[in-house]
Order: sequence, then C-alpha cells, then structure tokens
Amino acid sequence: MAQFPRPSVVGHTVRRFVFFLLVILTSLIALGLLVSVFQPNGFSPMELLLLFLYMILFAWICISFWTAFMGFWVILFGRDRWAISRQPPDIPPDSATSPPRTAILMPIYNEDSERVFAGLRAIHQSLMDTGQLDGFDFFILSDTRDPEVWVEEELRWQDMVWSLDGKERIFYRNRPENTSRKSGNLEDFCTRWGGRYRYMIVLDADSVMQGQTLVEMVRLMERHPRVALIQTPPVPVNRESLFARILQFASSLYGRMFTAGLNYWQLGESNYWGHNAIIRIQPFLDHCGLPKLPGHEPFGGEILSHDFVEAALLRRAGWEVWLAYDLEGSYEEIPPTLIDYAKRDRRWCQGNLQHLRLAFAQGFNLLSRLHFLMGVMSYAASPLWLLFLIATGVEAFIQTQQELVYFFGENWMPVWPVSFAVEMTTVLLVTLTMLFLPKLLALLLLLKEKRLRRAYGGMFKASLSVTLETVFSVLTAPVLMLFQTKFVLAILMRRAVGWPPQQRGDHQTGFVEAVLTHGGHTLIGVAAGTLSYLYVPAFFWWFTPVLLGLGLSIPVSMLSSSIALGRQARRMGLFLTPEETDPPKVLQDLDEYLQEDEPVLPVLRKTASSRFLQALTDPYVNTLHRSLLPESESPSKRRRHYLEGLIHQLEEEGPDSLSSMQKRELIANPETLLRLHALFWSQPPLNNDGMLLENRRAG
Amino acid sequence: MDLGKVGALRSHWTTPADSLSDENCLDRLRNYWKALGVSDSNLALALSEQTLRRLPEIPENEDSKTAHAIIAAGELLDDWLATALELPRPSPELTAARAALLSGVTPDWPTALFAPPGAAGTALERLRAAIAKPAPAPSPSAMPTQRIALFSLLGLLRRWWPTSINA
Repeated sequence: MAQFPRPSVVGHTVRRFVFFLLVILTSLIALGLLVSVFQPNGFSPMELLLLFLYMILFAWICISFWTAFMGFWVILFGRDRWAISRQPPDIPPDSATSPPRTAILMPIYNEDSERVFAGLRAIHQSLMDTGQLDGFDFFILSDTRDPEVWVEEELRWQDMVWSLDGKERIFYRNRPENTSRKSGNLEDFCTRWGGRYRYMIVLDADSVMQGQTLVEMVRLMERHPRVALIQTPPVPVNRESLFARILQFASSLYGRMFTAGLNYWQLGESNYWGHNAIIRIQPFLDHCGLPKLPGHEPFGGEILSHDFVEAALLRRAGWEVWLAYDLEGSYEEIPPTLIDYAKRDRRWCQGNLQHLRLAFAQGFNLLSRLHFLMGVMSYAASPLWLLFLIATGVEAFIQTQQELVYFFGENWMPVWPVSFAVEMTTVLLVTLTMLFLPKLLALLLLLKEKRLRRAYGGMFKASLSVTLETVFSVLTAPVLMLFQTKFVLAILMRRAVGWPPQQRGDHQTGFVEAVLTHGGHTLIGVAAGTLSYLYVPAFFWWFTPVLLGLGLSIPVSMLSSSIALGRQARRMGLFLTPEETDPPKVLQDLDEYLQEDEPVLPVLRKTASSRFLQALTDPYVNTLHRSLLPESESPSKRRRHYLEGLIHQLEEEGPDSLSSMQKRELIANPETLLRLHALFWSQPPLNNDGMLLENRRAG
Repeated sequence: MDLGKVGALRSHWTTPADSLSDENCLDRLRNYWKALGVSDSNLALALSEQTLRRLPEIPENEDSKTAHAIIAAGELLDDWLATALELPRPSPELTAARAALLSGVTPDWPTALFAPPGAAGTALERLRAAIAKPAPAPSPSAMPTQRIALFSLLGLLRRWWPTSINA
C-alpha cells in the first residue's frame, strides 16, 4: 500500500458529484425528449432498440462534453487548486535524502533508428541545458526483431555515446525474446536495473520532452510521495501532411481543454497513457506485475493495453495517479495519413476491448472501472453508432409505410396526427451542441490570451481552421466508424491482431492503396444513399453528411495525405499550432539533428546497403554487435545443426534467401557471427564489403 | 613501434610457423589485418605470420584453414588487448574493448598496443574511455505477478450460496 495515503478530500467528492450529476441529468433530459416522441403510440421493438442505443451513445457524448466544459471553466478562471502542480508538498523536503536518480526509458520495436536517436539527442541536449543532466540516465530498450534495424540501432547508440560523452549514462540493450511486448520490455528493465532508480520516465519511440518538463516531473514526485504516476499530455507535433496537421491543430487547441477537464473530475485517480509519464519504480515493481488473462486471444492471454491496467493496479494499492495537464513540453508524433491512423486503431482496439473483462474484476476502484469502460467505448461506440443509423433508417422506412388514420371509432371529427417535430429537432440540436460546442469553447479561450491567439495564427485564421477541421472531421467520422466497426467485429470473431511496427514518417496515400482500402466504404455509401433516396427520401437528406463522408472517402484519404497541401495550408496560416509558430528549442534541435545527420562514428558516415551484411563482414560492426549480445548458454546440439544449416544456406543461396527471423538468428549467436565473419574474410578479397555474399546469390 | 613485441607477449607464440608456405592464407590474413586498421604492410605481414604460429592453439572446426586463421587473428588481438588493458579473458569487456579499438577512436592503435611499456599511456587511456558499456551494473528487484480476479457468475453464486443457505 502507499506509504502516505491521503484522507479523502471533500472538494474532490464535490467535483465528481457535480460532474456526474450533470452527465446523468443531461442524458435523462435528452432521453426524456425521445421517449416523449415514441410513447404516444407505445414502443415498438425498433423504438426500444433506438432508445437503448441513444441512451448509451448520448451518455458517452455527455461525458466528453462535460469534461470539455469543465476544462473550459478551469482554464477560463485559472483557479484549479487541486492540480498536482499547484498542491503544496505533502512532506517537507528532506536534505538528508539522496537526490533521486531517474531513468528515461525509450522502448523501441523496429523503429526508424535515425528518428529515435535524433529524438533522444534532442531530449539529452534539453536536459543538459537545465544543468540537471546528472540526475538522469537514458535507456534504449530495444525489442527490435529486424536484423537490419537491430544493427543500425547499435551503431546509432554507440555514435550517441561518443558524440555526447554519454558513457555510463546512455545505455542500450536488445531483448533476446520480446515476451509480453512493451509491458514485458519495461518489466525486464525494472527487474534488472529498477533498484538503481527512484523514478522512470517512459517515452514512446516518437516522444520528445523538454528537459525542464522532465525536471519538473521529478520535482513533483519528490514533493508528493503518495503519487506513483504522473502523466503529461503529449501534444502531437512535427507531421506535415494535411491529415496530420489538421489532427495536430485539433489536439492542440481542444486537447488542453479536455485534459484540464479530465483532471477536474479524475484528480488523483487519473489514467496512464503508456508514455510521456513518470513512474515511481518501487510501487510499480510491487503492484504492476501483469498476469495473463485466462483464455485465449483476443480476450485472454497477455494484457495488450497494459497502461490502463497498471494505473488501475496502482490505484488498487492506494497510490495516486495524476494527469499534470498544465505541464507543457511533452510531445509525440501521430500517424501521417487516415489509413495509418486506422492501422494504429486496429492495434489499440483489441487491447481496449480486452478491458471489458477487467472493468468488472474484483478490487478495482470505481474510476478505474470507468477508465476501462471508456477505453472500450472509444471503439465500441462505432458499431453502436452504425447500428443506430441503420435502426433509424429502418424506423423511418416503417413510418413511411403507415397510412394515417384521421377518424377513430365514433368520432365524427378528424383526429389530426400529433407532430413531434419540435421534440425531435430539440433532440437533434442538443446532440449536435454536445458534439460541436467544445470546439467553439476552445476557440473562445483564445480570446483570453493574446500570446496563444497569435500562436494559432490569429482569431480569424483560428476560426477558419476550426470550421475546416469540423468539416473534415464530419467527412472522416463515417469512414473511421466503418473501420472501427470492422475491427471490433474481427476481434469478436476471435481474429487476433499482430504487433506490426508503425509507419511514422510522412508519406502519401497512392490511388491503388486508397481504392483498395476505401473502395468498400464508397460502395456502402453509394448503396445506402440509393436505398434511402428511393425508399425514405426524407431520411436521405438527414443522412447526407454520412453518405458524403463515405462517398468521398477515396479522394479525401488521398488529398489529406498530401504533404504539399499540408505545407500550403501552413503557408496560408491554417491549422497552425504554437509548436509550429514558435517551435520550442527541443523540437528545433530534433529537426536540426534530422536534417544534419552527421554521425561521429566513421562506419555510419558511409552508406551501407545492408547492416546485416555489415555485421558479418565489417570487423568493427561485427565486434560491436558481438559485444552487445547477452551472455547465454551454449546452444544445444539440435540448435547448432540448425544454425549450421543457415550458414550453408547463406553461403550457397545468398542473404536474400533467408527470412528476417533467420538472419536475426544468425547474428544473435556470437559463435555463428564470428564464424561467418571468418568465412567472409577467408574468401578472395572484394572491394565492397558484402558483395561476396550478394554476388554468390546472383551466381 | 616495437615490432618484436608482436611476438613477445606470450612465449608459446614463438613456435615456428609451419604453414607459411600457404601464400593464399597469408594474403588473406594480411588483408584482414589491414581491415583491422594496420596500415603498415611490414607490420601486417609480421602479424599474419604471428597469427599462423598461433593457429595450432585455436580449436579447429570444419571451416577452411584460412577461416580458422582469421579467428586466430582476433584471438591474438584479444591477447594483446587483455594484457595492455588488464582485462579478464574471455570477457564481454574484452570484446567491447576490441570494438572500441576497431571503431577508429585510436587510429594509431598498432603503435599504442606494441609500444614499449609506459609509452602508450594517452592512446590506451583514449581506448579505455571509448569502451562501450551497454548497461549499468544490475540491481535486480522482484516484480510479483498480481492477481486479478475476473468477474464470474459462478464465483458470485458460490459466494452467495452458503450465506443464503445459512440465512
């Protein structure tokens, strides 16, 4: 349990009471309006289904709306006395205690090494600028399986150590087996070196954090010993495609309001988003060893979205988890295209759906259960919306088939049908308000601060950007709805997802890729549009935003992936973010390191066609790689035979005949690696390293 | 540079090179030493001959004699490095030291390694400083697996059942 449990604070309870009261009241009012429409003629099964779906979906929207509203309120008045950054220290600073050591962890998996190490160097430089670098160590925790990337990482690490004089401060290791993926990677760090550090700051491969922010995170942890985890809100940056720039703008402008709102009601029972967070290592060790869930994938087995579960386990043990929404200088990068965004969703979807089982497990706090359910709803909402739209269409069709009867029984006066247009319009308006008002509120907040207003390109440009972003989100929402519905259904049908690495760099969507991905969406849009136009014409016009999104999905996906359009929009002052208008030094450094990639290590200055071959042929790369291999037992006889076979295959058929995994196996064994090196150098000399093996294959 | 030191570090290396007749092998070895950073042709030749003398000590495998000799060259280098830097052998530190040596941080490494005692201080210090340490000393901690009791209707009934019977 936490050493310094805090007694419950009345103010916290009041905040949560107010928040949930507003959510429940708003949901009930909207539901009441819809019931009043359906009730007079009794409830048909279809109407009951519509009511049920509307209740869930509206409650979901309400949580989001009131979170944004609370965030608006907090930022507007600037008086959040319970923000973790504004709370007085729980204990007076103890000068006798040794200064904390913090490990900055970057778990990576087949990532672009150049970008990973440029990011780390920028963070390192930023920390050095604070003068507090001595309190931090850097760990590159590689789970990379691709042998080319593996060797490249090692060289980049060595280069970073050299150029930054980072011996004994910048460390690298590649796990022989990537058991339990990212959570296993972190667990491996904690169990090996956890005892050396009081805190760890977990990054993602595309994370960038300012040194001052890192120092502040440590300071906050020191002041509040009951806190086990502080999450910072990462702001998306650095992408140039139109799609990514629109998302960066939206996340930046609306995000700060939403995170302030989340902190308003979550307080010390906040959540963990997996990166850009500081964690107290001892409670993490004590309480966050993740079990395997009973049963098979997709709902059983390893816990995929480990971050939510770790936060819940820390809360279960009495520790506090905070979202430091007002800490700036925390950045991440987002997928550059709509298709990449959907692919990322595919990976996250299974992990979040798995949480459905955990939401009802014993011992978790009420808010932790809500976090689990919100995670589930972030994907389950899509099939529910789709079902709702279909049910609405069917209900509208049924209504058109009914003949109106004006005379009942003995009545000689006609009984005019009652119109519920007012109620229905109110329901629609309330729903739309809930969806779009937060965008307006975020815009209004710009009026408060001149600095921010300028950073977003001025009030006019910011307003125009919000309008265009709204149109874009309306167009893409139906596409994402279909994507996520497909993912949810695939997972329910027990089709597990793999662990593909993300394609993070800017790149454009081609016509073939767009047609293959969105062809189905377009067809569905055309079919739904035709059916509704023919059979329920009144419904068709209400349905047009969804139909347009689906019908235009191919051009929207292609155009939004355009880097040229993204840059053009930037030149026009559209979708600007403060990080674009006035980039912080850490981002400028990152950009500089990426532009002027001038490694100190001679071997990195030369272009190599294959790092794998270089590991076999180049005496330095070969030795460096061997020096970084973990000590292991001598392979079994069977294993030796297997490796022997791979050596012969490489000799006779060339490197292209081997799979990536086979290449990895060859260079993961020090003896094999040395033998291959010796075999290469025992052959007649060639001018170009690696040509021998490549030539042999060609022959 | 003290060329004599090449063969003088360990007395048993002075065994006559019975395979010097194998010109191809010697050529490959000389190339290999050059690839390791030995630019002086005479020194490369001397080192190659020394390698061949060392050959009988290296456990044989099914590969060619030349491949075997390439491995012996590395072993020879490790011997000198272990002596110069006082490192245990074999050890990961020694492999890391060899990597540092080959990285280019001490371009004149043959001069430093075969210099008379006390004459190669700076170069060896530079080499020591360049030895990579991929991970700090371990400080292991336990991370017990947590128990998460998932919701189960049967479990709920089991808990409820005895209470209701007693009631």
